[in-house]
Amino acid sequence: MKNMNVTCNDRDRIFEDGTPAEWAALGAHAAACPICTEQIRAWESLSVAAKELRDYSDSPSFWPRIERALAEEAARNPQRAERRGWFSFFRNIPLGWQTAAAGAFVLVLTVSAGWFYLQPPRDGQPADQSLLKSKALKEVESAETTYVQAIDKLAAEAKPQLDNPATPLLANYHEKLLVLDSAIADLRAQAGMNPSNAQLRHQLLAMYQEKQHTLEEVLETKQ
Amino acid sequence: MGTMGLALPWKARISSTLRERGTRVEPSEHFAGGPNPAAVDALSEDAVLAAACRSGDLRAYERLYAMHGARMKNLARNVLGNPSDAEDAVQETFLKVQRSIASFRGQSSFVTWTYRILINTCYDARRSRLRKKEVANDDSEETPRHEPRAPGAHPALRMALERALAKLTQHQRDVFLLYEVEGFRHAEIAGILEMTETASKNTLFQAKKNLRQMLEPPRSSAAEAR
Repeated sequence: MKNMNVTCNDRDRIFEDGTPAEWAALGAHAAACPICTEQIRAWESLSVAAKELRDYSDSPSFWPRIERALAEEAARNPQRAERRGWFSFFRNIPLGWQTAAAGAFVLVLTVSAGWFYLQPPRDGQPADQSLLKSKALKEVESAETTYVQAIDKLAAEAKPQLDNPATPLLANYHEKLLVLDSAIADLRAQAGMNPSNAQLRHQLLAMYQEKQHTLEEVLETKQ
Repeated sequence: MGTMGLALPWKARISSTLRERGTRVEPSEHFAGGPNPAAVDALSEDAVLAAACRSGDLRAYERLYAMHGARMKNLARNVLGNPSDAEDAVQETFLKVQRSIASFRGQSSFVTWTYRILINTCYDARRSRLRKKEVANDDSEETPRHEPRAPGAHPALRMALERALAKLTQHQRDVFLLYEVEGFRHAEIAGILEMTETASKNTLFQAKKNLRQMLEPPRSSAAEAR
């Protein structure tokens, strides 16, 4: 091995992120430097002291207790497990494709909502307006349902992070999503009372898009 | 040159102990060659364990417990300060793993993911303990209450270290406990605490610097000792 020239000035850097070769060189340097000898000894002593905090003694009743809790939980949620199994194929789809699908649903929803909103009334067509309305509504509602399902999948992905936010940023996202969910619930209630109101539908769509973007950002922080 | 050793009765013992270095192999220390066969084995074992847990096999959870239960409990105990809360946190971690194993995508190792859940569960427990204290109108600061444990070789050292650890920042304490006590590598700590490997190394450095300052004898008593 090539001899490395190490001085006292390198000590802290080596303590922080030294390679084995650098540690060896520091050791060699310390042989002739009492300050470094003492510093290394104090540094190493913390690692030795840390072992005092190790207590791996086993308690025989602990695993049976966990096992019982796991079995109870499994028995309590067989339906949830079944549902998870049903939707498991979604999880195998890469995140990029999921986002693309969600984007496509947004497009469909926007185009269909816009088309029905801007469509001028056709002269000379005594069509059954109530029938048209109901058909258009069905299409919008069906697109919305699909979009909501796609967002729910994103939400399920992000749930573990949001349930236990590891950073203040994630906690903020969690708050924001709660506010968005509340706003969505309000708008849906209003849309339920007035299903043909395109303005409400647009607002709802904007809320869904915001939720989608927020969830994507949460998932990006995970990666 | 004054004595730089720590102001503790075990100074004599550790002064002659050179820490065995190189027992942990960091990814950055792999210089060349193909993948480390031991690491490949560990990865595949990790994936097998994750798959078995996902299938709901309780024996897989038992295996996870056999491999990591003691270490999980020790980590929880060092974060929470007492064995009873530590056992609750470990049990809750197993339940959380069972509930959310379906959402585990394998982006980190299963074991790393499990420890991340454990750390978060411990801090949830600490926060909830703090809230309960606030409700009870107890304004004492929340620091882990360390209850006596099985006597070790150096109880005074352990107590001094526990007190000093309680004064570190949460990240410094976590990194120190994971690296120095539990023996994780920086790459694993980075996965558990969702930080970079460099940040883990830097945090450990800062933690040890702070601990050393806290545990060093005051200059006057050091001079007297001479």
